[in-house]
Amino acid sequence: MRPVLEIYSASGMPLASLLWKSGPVVALGWSAEEELLCVQEDGAVLVYGLHGDFRRHFSMGNEVLQNRVLDARIFHTEFGSGVAILTGAYRFTLSANVGDLKLRRMPEVPGLQSAPSCWTTLCHDRVTHILLAVGPDLYLLDHATCSTVTPAGLAPGVSSFLQMAVSFTYRYLALFTDTGYIWMGTASLKEKLCEFNCNIRAPPKQMVWCSRPRSKEKAVVVAWERRLMVVGNAPESIQFVLDEDSYLVPELDGVRIFSRSTHEFLHEVPVASEEIFKIASMAPGALLLEAQKEYEKESQKADEYLREIQELGQLVQAVQQCIEAAGHEHQPDMQKSLLRAASFGKCFLDRFPPDSFVRMCQDLRVLNAIRDYHIGIPLTYSQYKQLTIQVLLDRLVLRRLYPLAIQICEYLRLPEVQGVSRILAHWACYKVQQKDVSDEDVARAINQKLGDTPGVSYSDIAARAYGCGRTELAIKLLEYEPRSGEQVPLLLKMKRSKLALSKAIESGDTDLVFTVLLHLKNELNRGDFFMTLRNQPMALSLYRQFCKHQELDTLKDLYNQDDNHQELGSFHIRASYASEERIEGRVASLQTAADAFYKAKNEFAAKATEDQMRLLRLQRRLEDELGGHFLDLSLHDTVTTLILGGHNKRAEQLARDFRIPDKRLWWLKLAALANLEDWEELEKFSKSKKSPIGYLPFVEICMKQHNKYEAKKYASRVSPEQKVKALLLVGDVAQAADVAIEHRNETELSLVLSHCTGATDGATADKIQRARAQAQKK
Amino acid sequence: MAFPHRLDAPELPDFSMLKRLARDQLIYLLEQLPGKKDLFIEADLMSPLDRIANVSILKQHEVDKLYKVENKPALSSNEQLCFLVRPRIKNMRYIANLVNADKLAGRFRKYKVILTPQKFYACEMVLEEEGVYGDVSCDEWAFSLLPLDVDLLSMELPEFFRDYFLEGDQRWINTVAQALHLLSTLYGPFPNCYGIGRCAKMSYDLWRKLEEEEDSETKGRRPEIGHIFLLDRDMDFVTALCSQVVYEGLVDDTFRIKCGSVDFGPEVTSSDKSLKVLLNAEDKVFNEIRNEHFSNVFGFLSQKARNLQAQYDRRRGMDIKQMKNFVSQELKGLKQEHRLLSLHIGACESIMKKKTKQDFQELIKTEHALLEGFNIRESTSYIEEHIDRQVSPIESLRLMCLLSITENGLIPKDYRSLKTQYLQSYGPEHLLTFSNLRRAGLLTEQAPGDTLTAVENKVSKLVTDKAADTRWNLAQISSPGKITDAFSSLAKRSNFRAISKKLNLIPRVDGEYDLKVPRDMAYVFSGAYVPLSCRIIEQVLERRSWQGLDEVVRLLNCSEFAFTDMAKEDKASSESLRLILVVFLGGCTFSEISALRFLGREKGYRFIFLTTAITNSARLMEAMSEVKA
Repeated sequence: MRPVLEIYSASGMPLASLLWKSGPVVALGWSAEEELLCVQEDGAVLVYGLHGDFRRHFSMGNEVLQNRVLDARIFHTEFGSGVAILTGAYRFTLSANVGDLKLRRMPEVPGLQSAPSCWTTLCHDRVTHILLAVGPDLYLLDHATCSTVTPAGLAPGVSSFLQMAVSFTYRYLALFTDTGYIWMGTASLKEKLCEFNCNIRAPPKQMVWCSRPRSKEKAVVVAWERRLMVVGNAPESIQFVLDEDSYLVPELDGVRIFSRSTHEFLHEVPVASEEIFKIASMAPGALLLEAQKEYEKESQKADEYLREIQELGQLVQAVQQCIEAAGHEHQPDMQKSLLRAASFGKCFLDRFPPDSFVRMCQDLRVLNAIRDYHIGIPLTYSQYKQLTIQVLLDRLVLRRLYPLAIQICEYLRLPEVQGVSRILAHWACYKVQQKDVSDEDVARAINQKLGDTPGVSYSDIAARAYGCGRTELAIKLLEYEPRSGEQVPLLLKMKRSKLALSKAIESGDTDLVFTVLLHLKNELNRGDFFMTLRNQPMALSLYRQFCKHQELDTLKDLYNQDDNHQELGSFHIRASYASEERIEGRVASLQTAADAFYKAKNEFAAKATEDQMRLLRLQRRLEDELGGHFLDLSLHDTVTTLILGGHNKRAEQLARDFRIPDKRLWWLKLAALANLEDWEELEKFSKSKKSPIGYLPFVEICMKQHNKYEAKKYASRVSPEQKVKALLLVGDVAQAADVAIEHRNETELSLVLSHCTGATDGATADKIQRARAQAQKK
Repeated sequence: MAFPHRLDAPELPDFSMLKRLARDQLIYLLEQLPGKKDLFIEADLMSPLDRIANVSILKQHEVDKLYKVENKPALSSNEQLCFLVRPRIKNMRYIANLVNADKLAGRFRKYKVILTPQKFYACEMVLEEEGVYGDVSCDEWAFSLLPLDVDLLSMELPEFFRDYFLEGDQRWINTVAQALHLLSTLYGPFPNCYGIGRCAKMSYDLWRKLEEEEDSETKGRRPEIGHIFLLDRDMDFVTALCSQVVYEGLVDDTFRIKCGSVDFGPEVTSSDKSLKVLLNAEDKVFNEIRNEHFSNVFGFLSQKARNLQAQYDRRRGMDIKQMKNFVSQELKGLKQEHRLLSLHIGACESIMKKKTKQDFQELIKTEHALLEGFNIRESTSYIEEHIDRQVSPIESLRLMCLLSITENGLIPKDYRSLKTQYLQSYGPEHLLTFSNLRRAGLLTEQAPGDTLTAVENKVSKLVTDKAADTRWNLAQISSPGKITDAFSSLAKRSNFRAISKKLNLIPRVDGEYDLKVPRDMAYVFSGAYVPLSCRIIEQVLERRSWQGLDEVVRLLNCSEFAFTDMAKEDKASSESLRLILVVFLGGCTFSEISALRFLGREKGYRFIFLTTAITNSARLMEAMSEVKA
């Protein structure tokens, strides 16, 4: 027959039941995340969820597998939950955190031939040690060494230790010897707190510490078959009778005692409660409680009690005591009467800050709600505070108690992102695991419930769905994700790269687009990759930019693929400047470019490129024949350079070959000859035929070279419309005035007038004014 | 002369906070590399950095030596190197090479790369490909807004223009959205938003998304700035292509204002050295003339000089006590003013000299003719002559573009002949420049008949519909390469003439336009033309929407990308409602700024300008030019 693993809530409600199909189990224990750890004999640890759902398993190593597990402990430290194992070879192996498994094999105890009579894990300075007892000796194992230790002040005559217990905080240790003697001290064994002789020699079933944080009273609870004994720094012990087989669980502030039919909590009475409820207590809290009761009875005693407290000036203290004591009560009636007392006392105080009272009321409501047997989380007030509301919510979520968790969040007005949204997201993650519901229904249900609650990430939920193997559902859920950027990583993971690409583009985040692009590039073959790009112009231009700087060849391939001959042509032109050194290479590049331009039906560019090839070759020849620098000059500059070098014939040949228009040639020659100050040649040139650019430029350029004499020669040849300007340029104001008057042109007249300066032109100015006056008369 | 602000003009928000924010962030990043370190700075970042944290602040945070990032091996012997660069692949390769060289030499140093204004995945990719990703740490300095003046914020990203409008690269849009998000976090939400242009729409959408994600932080805040207007540079290339004649614009055209300051050469300072001068509202003299038409500036300056002299002259006849007062209180201010005055007079002289030499009047006349659309043949010959004489490659290109845009493209004959002439004059590599200009819609060829054929109409409609469907990505069109090409050339049809008529951009003037007392924004172009961009903004603000401007929007080919968004509950004070943030995506010119400042004075608004960079015609053309490496 196979054993059955049953899981119950703390109130005894069955949560799960499953047939055990694996090997024999040596130890069971809960991790801090409320996962059930089952240590098998072969060293495998199986991890189950609260609802009996198998999570994962891990092994404690080969050595454990070979020698089998003799004993195992699950322990908790600030880093998480650990597992310690004693093997059949009497060696210890442990892992301090099962979430981040690192196995550590502890050193050997020299000459150990039998199992230790008892052992425990200690945690000191973030390091886990093992303390074990063999006969009368105690050994401490750390990383590397095994050392013998002796408890301070241990009574003589001990031949064996039967039990040892370490406190919840790892600060204290208790040892039970075969003489019925109990030693209690610090975990380092260097200091003894107290000792007690119970005179029972039978080995106890369990021994655990029972104390409250910051309490001075230290006590251990020792359990035998039917007897429970509380031992502390006192000559007498407290004894209880156990009706059933029981099991002790040490906790932060007390000990839980489970039996088949009961669940009890044994703890030290808190100071506030003691003060108030001690028989005939005169503590301020006790008096206040009494006062309130009398007040309800409408008795004058109320006033007397109150006066008594006030006279001692202890009303604040009284209120605080009542509030605190209420926290430690489990019965709502008692909580209420204490809070009522506190509230009553508050009325007589001027400035009592209300938050402690309000917070206690809230905390108690939450605590009462979760202590309900339907829920079954009977936390004490101190445990609840230690745990924090966030962890409590996690635990509710773990139990799938989503509605209660949401109610608590709303009641405590937690920010949505930490509270309601988070819980809804958890709920959704649970929902996607329901394999019997169709993708559509799940997606719709989730969207209905979540809507667009802030802080809910649909992509996280979708990731969970994908984790459960429901890719289609994941995609449906992603549709609800408003931030398209968030959808991308998961889509990539699910190999929906093309969809990811359009989502990335939609998000407007170019970085994201780029991430997807590189993904695609590795995932697809080149052809498909380019095809995908073609359909996404934004991605394409982004990738092009990258290629331009980093992968020139890819750029060319891209253009080729698109039959984009225009860009291909430009690409080769650029290449002819950037990467080619030799003339032949450059010409070849240009030829490719020209071919591409023809294909692109861009005849202009093709022709221009061919001209450039011609020019390059020619410039090369010029350099060879004439020396000097010609390469890469523009056509204009090439011709100019030739003229400046006195190669007029060559220049004219070039102009003919490249069909330089007349006008340009005239401008060019004019500038070059003036630059050479070759006035004779210039004059000859001006007379070679009628100037296509007129003669004003001749005047201008001579003046620029400060040659008034030459300028005047041309001024006379300037066309009538420009004559005034020319005359003014050479400084002949008087004649300019004459011409302007002759033209009867008002603008010309004012132009001349503006050039009349000082005394020299006084007469001219007068003349113009007269001409103007005359013109006006007419 | 300088127009005073109306008494009820709203106060500008304090933008110096942006500087402090950027400085603190930079210091934090520098401190992450404790100990002495050498800092390598990209040349483009030097001036902006100087405005945020000067050398002494850098030294305080253990920056030892400063180097410029250039293509030379680094001489630094420091054990810690820090690089402050723009996220460009070129820079990443430079750093990777440096690290790899160290490795080869068996040297191990600490390297930190600070990318500003943001990291790009592609950059980190390059580091990875070069095998140095593990050796360097990459950080982001989110410095995207530099207050150049009380009303002017610049992102100092001149490459935005080329990257987006030529290469179609959208990565800077995210940066713009982040910058807007920062502004709304600091200065409250913007209750009224308007915009036009594809890039404007994308930036706006992305910005909105950011705001939604980071919920409710700004929701409760009272808005400080009532309106925001986003505008793409390609809505109005004409204005940016015109010669500037307002003083600040002219200074920019002549000397190049860089990051809010200008280097005046010896010809201006009338000494033997150059002087770097900060040009902003704090310069009292400059502040009075910056928005003036150039023809007024000289007169104003000489008047100012006379006043100054008069103030100096008051010394005479003072007693000792008055004199003491004068020296201790006024003299310094007067001296300062004197210095500035002589600088600006020097600048004016220098401008005059340059402009008269190049026949500036002819040039302006041609520009005006192009804007008004008469004597096209004459203007074309003028441009041809300009090219033949090799006056200036950039200027020639600018005139060609201006002709193309105002005429809806060049007629095929001119298109070919001007290009041929240009290649002959300035070199064949400009074949690539022309290809760029065509793609950007700056220099195009007229379609036969100059009207859309029925088929083209259909295609364009199909494309725009699709664009609307899928927001901005033209996804899933059967053969997108071709259609997008068709789309781009169609979309870039400028329709300038029609728009100009519709919006009355060429003022009808009876008699002379009095530049001393401007009547409208046209004064920034000597009364010949109201800047299109500014007119659009004016019209939309007047209507508080695009209503009634449908025809204009259609002509701008922007039916899908003109938007208005008003907040439902209006918590804005009447003062904030008169503050308008204008965002120029792709750059704005000083002329536009002057025009809007004028509009603000007329209507009692105040404009705040946010631009990706200050631009002008030369910068636009250079961005499009391909020059041999």
